[in-house]
Amino acid sequence: MLRPERMRRLLIAAPQGEIETVVSELYRHNVYHIEDFVPESESPDGLSIGHPLPGASDAASALIKVRAIESAAGIDPENVEARAKIPASKVRAMMRTDLPAIQEEAEGLIASRSRLETQQKEHEQRAKELEPFTVVPLDLELYRGYTRFTVFTGHVAHDVDIDVPHEKYFSDKTAGNMIVVVVQAEHREPVERALLDAGFQAVPVPDGTGSPAELRNAHLADAGRIGDEITAVNTRIAEFRERRTDFLVACDELLTADVERAEAPLRFATTEETFITEGWVPEGQADRIREALERATNGRIYIEELEIDDDTAVPVEYENPSFSKPTQVLMDIYARPRYSEIDPTLMVAIVFPIFFGMILGDVGYGTVLLALSLGLRKFLKGDAGRMLLKVLGIASISSIVFGILYSEFLGFSLPWPALIFSRHLNIGGAAGGHGPQVVELMIVAIWIGILHITFGRILGMINARRLYHGKHATQAVIAHAGWLGVMWGILLLIWSFFPIPMMPDLTGLPVVVMGLNVSAVAGVVLLLAGIIGIAQENALEVVELPTIISHVLSYARLVAVGLSSVAIAMVVNYISIGMIIEPQLETITPLGVIIIIAGIIVFLLGHVLNTALGLLGGGLHSIRLHYVEFFTKFYKGGGKKYNPFGMKPKFMEE
Amino acid sequence: MVDVGTTLEMVQASQMGMQAIGAGLAVGLTGLGTGIAELGIGAAAVGATAENRDVFGLALLLTVIPETIVIFGLVVALLLLF
Repeated sequence: MLRPERMRRLLIAAPQGEIETVVSELYRHNVYHIEDFVPESESPDGLSIGHPLPGASDAASALIKVRAIESAAGIDPENVEARAKIPASKVRAMMRTDLPAIQEEAEGLIASRSRLETQQKEHEQRAKELEPFTVVPLDLELYRGYTRFTVFTGHVAHDVDIDVPHEKYFSDKTAGNMIVVVVQAEHREPVERALLDAGFQAVPVPDGTGSPAELRNAHLADAGRIGDEITAVNTRIAEFRERRTDFLVACDELLTADVERAEAPLRFATTEETFITEGWVPEGQADRIREALERATNGRIYIEELEIDDDTAVPVEYENPSFSKPTQVLMDIYARPRYSEIDPTLMVAIVFPIFFGMILGDVGYGTVLLALSLGLRKFLKGDAGRMLLKVLGIASISSIVFGILYSEFLGFSLPWPALIFSRHLNIGGAAGGHGPQVVELMIVAIWIGILHITFGRILGMINARRLYHGKHATQAVIAHAGWLGVMWGILLLIWSFFPIPMMPDLTGLPVVVMGLNVSAVAGVVLLLAGIIGIAQENALEVVELPTIISHVLSYARLVAVGLSSVAIAMVVNYISIGMIIEPQLETITPLGVIIIIAGIIVFLLGHVLNTALGLLGGGLHSIRLHYVEFFTKFYKGGGKKYNPFGMKPKFMEE
Repeated sequence: MVDVGTTLEMVQASQMGMQAIGAGLAVGLTGLGTGIAELGIGAAAVGATAENRDVFGLALLLTVIPETIVIFGLVVALLLLF
């Protein structure tokens, strides 16, 4: 909690003969984060990268085959729900006996589908080419084979008068009109010019004989028949998927494991007779893996624990109570914490839902979002997606709680007055009570900002002592104190001149010097000391001073975004109920019923839109306040992800 | 120049209207300013994030810096109205 899991750095060395045992033992435990060996040209000890274990290329090519079948059949192992775990030995046996047949079956099905699709396209293309000719009462063979006549066929903007002897068919029953003109070859040029003036576009005469309409219908019938065949093949592919998914994903998993194991030596340093690997193990697991390795190799292994000298090299794994685990996904979007700094996941997990609730405090919207987060769990199978849904679930519960406090339900008020500050705007003349308490809400938001930022700066001091050493650490701590001094100095100055509701009123304190009272003097002193404190670390930072005001005021969005959401909800209610539905309820007529239904549609559409806006506004602004206003005060981030060598088998067991 | 027929209520009403216009201008113009400022930063930030997912945090941070402008506008508007 509040800091990443403690790690131990292990160096493992063993004879080459034990490499397979060690690799499979490490893989089975799934806790060892391998530090890849990078050979340096000047390294004197003759260390080089290891060679893959025998069988690596076989496993890799088998894996490619399995993945090809999976993608052809539309199987995505990420989204497959594990039904029963197949023993690895059985998977291996089936891979030898069944896999070739399965591959053949899959390839056959896919090939026949693509062949049928090509055929279908061809028939459809032919039918399309014949389409314009179906409106002309001529058989196809009549268009061809003349030596003394020229045949024009094509689309034209309008009918054309031709002043030489000719035979002509015109129809406007098809898209773009269709014209067929037959003239003697010597009149070809004037006729062509006349046609071109009318926007003539030649259409080639399709192959074939007989009536174009019959021919086209035959092609369409063929295309339809082939479409049925494609459906049949698709059903067979679906059946194949149904039958084979379990086996294929188990194969995929087993082969992935094989390949990873076989290629592990590529990440080790080797000499002719031995290999060496460095890596990281969580503190709680270190002794167990040590014993396991010694037992597996009968003691033919050397394991040493190394000092941790560089904190950026340590892989970082979160260590959080289960309540704040889903919030890790929000941390990873920004940056994973560094090994020695404070992990703020827990604070985000507590404050984020509160901010979300403050913005979208509405029982109705909260319930809808809670239902959404529970309902979508069935469809989203990825880890990150599920964690986000859990975060949304917690946030929407907070939204319901704040909705009860604000007394809001889809913009209507609940049967009690607002328990904290009211956000009921005066829209449609419906507001009762004392109207919206915007100023009070703003001041509360500013207070939250002041406290959140102060907290962030204090964390900044703690972090500075953990991350830096010696003089730099002291300077950084003083700079953080300086920022706090400037902020509180400005606050004291403001309080000493202006009485602000819900904030200390210091205007009445005794005047000391130059018309300034005690708190104003204290404020000036704090402000100046703060600026010196900031400047002693980095003088350029002084230009950042205005951000103190902008960051504190930024918390006003907690109120502003929320109020806009309330306003939209109330406007939707007023338009749909006040303006459309209620006037119709006085005397019910058939037309009135339709208008009422339209009003209900407006109501639903408006609230769906506002739910989406509320989710976006509430979520993005709350997380932004953390990323921009809170994290910039103390958080460095940039830790490496802890990625242990091994896997948690989902579909098979070894 | 006050019209002879102007009553106190009318003066108050027109003052309210002026306040509302002022508040609208404060939010609207600062919103435009923020939008123009975020235009370039946002485009560059999306490009950078597409190249390298790791810079998302920094990209978001840079993109929202100009939001300060509209927040100031909003504070002024709320102070005018309430």
